Amino acid sequence: MWSRKSAMLGSLAVAMYMLGLTLRNSQLVTIAVVIFVFLTWAALVGNHADVSASGRRAEEWTGEEGVALGSVVAMRKLSSARMFEDGELNVTLRMQNTSSLPKILEVRDRVPEVMRIKEGANYILMELGPRRETFIEYTVECPLRGFYSLGPVTVRIQDAFGLFHKEKELHVYNDFLVFPKMEDLKETFVKSRVPKIFTGAVNIRQPGPGSEFYSLREYFEGDSFRAINWSAYARSGKLMVNERERDAVSDIIIIVDSRAVAETGPVSRNALVYSTRAAASLAKYFLGRRDSVGVIVYGDEVVSVDRDTGKKQLYVILTKLAGAVARGNIPLQVVVNRILPHINKGSPIIFLSNLEDDPTIVNALRDFRARDFDVTVLSPSSLEFEFDAKRLDRTGYEVMKTERDVLIGELRGLGVNIMDWEPDMLLSTALAGARGF
Amino acid sequence: MTINKPSADTSHLYDGKTVRSAAPSRKKAAGQVGSGSEIPQDAIPKVEIPSFIESLLGGPLVPKMKFLPPDKMVQNLQIAVYGVLVALAFLTYLISPPDGTMWYILSGSLGFANIMQLVIIGGATVCGFMGTFKRDARFSLGSNVLFILAILRFASSKTSLSNDAFGFQDSPFLLAVLVVVYSVLLIMYFELSNGVIRYSMLDTSIRTNEVYVMNPKKIVSKYHRSLIINPVIATLLAWFVLSANTILPRIVGIFSSDTSLRMEESVELTSVYGVALGTLFVFITVGVLFGLNLPTHLQRYREKQAE
Repeated sequence: MWSRKSAMLGSLAVAMYMLGLTLRNSQLVTIAVVIFVFLTWAALVGNHADVSASGRRAEEWTGEEGVALGSVVAMRKLSSARMFEDGELNVTLRMQNTSSLPKILEVRDRVPEVMRIKEGANYILMELGPRRETFIEYTVECPLRGFYSLGPVTVRIQDAFGLFHKEKELHVYNDFLVFPKMEDLKETFVKSRVPKIFTGAVNIRQPGPGSEFYSLREYFEGDSFRAINWSAYARSGKLMVNERERDAVSDIIIIVDSRAVAETGPVSRNALVYSTRAAASLAKYFLGRRDSVGVIVYGDEVVSVDRDTGKKQLYVILTKLAGAVARGNIPLQVVVNRILPHINKGSPIIFLSNLEDDPTIVNALRDFRARDFDVTVLSPSSLEFEFDAKRLDRTGYEVMKTERDVLIGELRGLGVNIMDWEPDMLLSTALAGARGF
Repeated sequence: MTINKPSADTSHLYDGKTVRSAAPSRKKAAGQVGSGSEIPQDAIPKVEIPSFIESLLGGPLVPKMKFLPPDKMVQNLQIAVYGVLVALAFLTYLISPPDGTMWYILSGSLGFANIMQLVIIGGATVCGFMGTFKRDARFSLGSNVLFILAILRFASSKTSLSNDAFGFQDSPFLLAVLVVVYSVLLIMYFELSNGVIRYSMLDTSIRTNEVYVMNPKKIVSKYHRSLIINPVIATLLAWFVLSANTILPRIVGIFSSDTSLRMEESVELTSVYGVALGTLFVFITVGVLFGLNLPTHLQRYREKQAE
């Protein structure tokens, strides 16, 4: 492939050649011929390109493969396929030259734009000997949650003067997942008002006061006589008591607003980033407390994770939160209408939203309150993000802040525990504020 | 559980209900602050795409990063540029006499044209020095343009010299050699001044850990080799191409000695059109070879030989 430099020299040569012929000036023709020859030699030595970069995946690739690059093979290994925000990923790229000729290669491993190279480099200039391989190691820092993919590996060969080059994309992709980071919570002040032992109790595979049989154990002083399993006593000759499986304390429903408007603000500081981190932290806390947690993420569609308990549930929730993309504009009322029939009465509901651009919010939350749900709203303020990023002037900020305060006041009047979550506030502080502590 | 996206019409949800709408000022302001489905500006990664001029030079006109002090490789390149620049300035002055220049045609004064020519060549040299010393692509570009401007002469088919202290004017062969050497020096100057910027960028990127270079000595030695081999081969090939008007009659002479003699004595063939005709034949041959994908076949042959 011609570079612009070679194109410029080629154009200059053509212009001089034509001008030389027109003016009958042999000097110009001679200079043009020398430039032509220089370019021709570079093209011949550089092995004029037959493959160009396209950015397409392997299955869409229809181009002819270059001879010189056909023998270059790339493989990649990641230190982990899952990590939390601000985590580090070690990448090992293995480059092989299966040819019997040495090659000087420029190799660039494509890293998602939001990632930062912390150690090493993903852009390497190397001389790869015949039938040799080399390992390139680098570390990337992953500051934002999401599904990411490393690759393709772009390999380029060019002549020494950079006049002609040949590129090939080695379609080696590695997908990995970055979970939202979590804050350790000591207390959330959120408790169910309805004992979970009744409707829809969920077994949590832990001994405790419950209705389902869990295991047998030896009798200890203080155990209730009613718990003694007389059949087991008859069989073993030892006093044995029945242990029951403890039921979950409560169902917790976390609703995350991932509409397009949730991403208003800088890419690393916006309502969606805060909401997903808060949802992850809350899910971890409640699941640690043996509650069952369900998550609903809505934007252009309503995605829900059914209530469940345990560590596996935490990873299911984290995966959904990692994939939350700011899209669409489904009103909260639609979400409420869909989930209301499926939630146990009195379950605490935590709603994470910037409360922007949805006229149904008040009605939707009123519907929850009318059915005596314990509603907590944490609202990361998009206004603060925008104002901090200097995209909003003081007057506009003040006007919108007043309107936001009015809306928050109105929701508070409905009995909703609500907190205007400012950017520098810890989640635990925001929760305590929402619950009136 | 994933529920499919509902239809856009959600009016049925509000039947019989009072729908509270946000205040108009809020909606307006929200629109101004970028709410909606648009991608926030800072969510779009900053991609540095070189401008057309930048890509011609192989690097930015105004580098975003400050070059670190030049390493030995860059210093050597700078010295080479200074050497080539002096030689080029001298040869440019020698082979571009003021008559036939744009300034002579415009003013009709040989003295004025001479001064203008000297000013342009001097300007090109000073710009070249500054561009190389400061490693500033803008000066290098200016120097390149001035050198091209200096060589543009709108006259004669014969090469003439502004100063014939060495007696080249009497020998067409030496004159041709002089022009070929000048052309090679011109292209090498373009390349070397460009190389100073490219290798400064590369060196800075290596030292700031943006690029990792494995076995840099081999890579640099390849460039050094090319700096010697390419001009030599370009000179020889160019000489062959430019001699096509003398080679052609000899080839024709194999078939017909009369035609060959007529061709040798032809004024057209020994003029610039003869050179052009020869060039055309050679480059048509080269074009056909490229059309047949010769480089790829050569590469394949080399790969097979190495097996």
